[in-house]
Amino acid sequence: MRTSLIETEQIEAHLLQRSDTGEALIFEAKMLLDPELKEKVLWQQKTYHIIKSYGRDQLRQEIESVHQKLFSEGRHKSFRQKIMSLFTKK
Amino acid sequence: MVINDKQMPEEKVSICNAEEREMLFISLYKSVFPSVAKYVAKMGGTFEEAKDIFQDALLIYYEKAIAGSCNINTNEKAYLAGIAKHLWLKKFRTNLTNVPIGHLDVESEVESHVSDNKLLNFLQTAGKKCMDLLRSFYYDQQPLNEIAETFGFSGVRSATVQKYKCLEKVRETVKEKALTYEDFLD
Repeated sequence: MRTSLIETEQIEAHLLQRSDTGEALIFEAKMLLDPELKEKVLWQQKTYHIIKSYGRDQLRQEIESVHQKLFSEGRHKSFRQKIMSLFTKK
Repeated sequence: MVINDKQMPEEKVSICNAEEREMLFISLYKSVFPSVAKYVAKMGGTFEEAKDIFQDALLIYYEKAIAGSCNINTNEKAYLAGIAKHLWLKKFRTNLTNVPIGHLDVESEVESHVSDNKLLNFLQTAGKKCMDLLRSFYYDQQPLNEIAETFGFSGVRSATVQKYKCLEKVRETVKEKALTYEDFLD
């Protein structure tokens, strides 16, 4: 892997707490000496949050599309009727 | 709530890709949604409310159940129904009818800002391939060998390299866009 990717991997190990004590200490020291690295760490953390939001959005869309299928396709008619009957009764 | 377990055998099912997830969701909809809907209807709720609650419950269930594997234990339907019931009671008690329940209960350490949404929209179009790969690894927590297969990489090694390349690319986009969207840093 090229150097920058190794650094990205190290940032990940730091953020996801996968590094052992020694590695963690070295990384902390590196961050103190290198403001650019510290900045990258912050952006990478933000990136994981963005990925999680993206994952959730996509999963919600997948669930909604399953809902649409179940409540429109002919082959799920009896299921649909069973559900809808629950909400029509007084 | 009575859970009908007839739809699916009680065993581990694989949920490694979109097709398998769809099959799982259809199966869970058919086996668990009727009891959730029945419960919500009995409590005076509407179809839309039952739908919203069930969908939020599915998301929470998915996030809890996957935790590090590609499998899901299908005899945990009572657990899914339990989450839905809990969400309903919370909504019912607090009576916040105008607040989407998803924003109340899906635990999130990230508040979704307007700028986050802008960024997500951008990434959905400009970097979809990378985002899908990163989603599989970090959100769906699929094993790298499965990811390699799904995305057509020669092996785990090449999937790993690609993952870090994407991570780096998205990180740079996030940084770059942050300077464009003023309200990003608050």
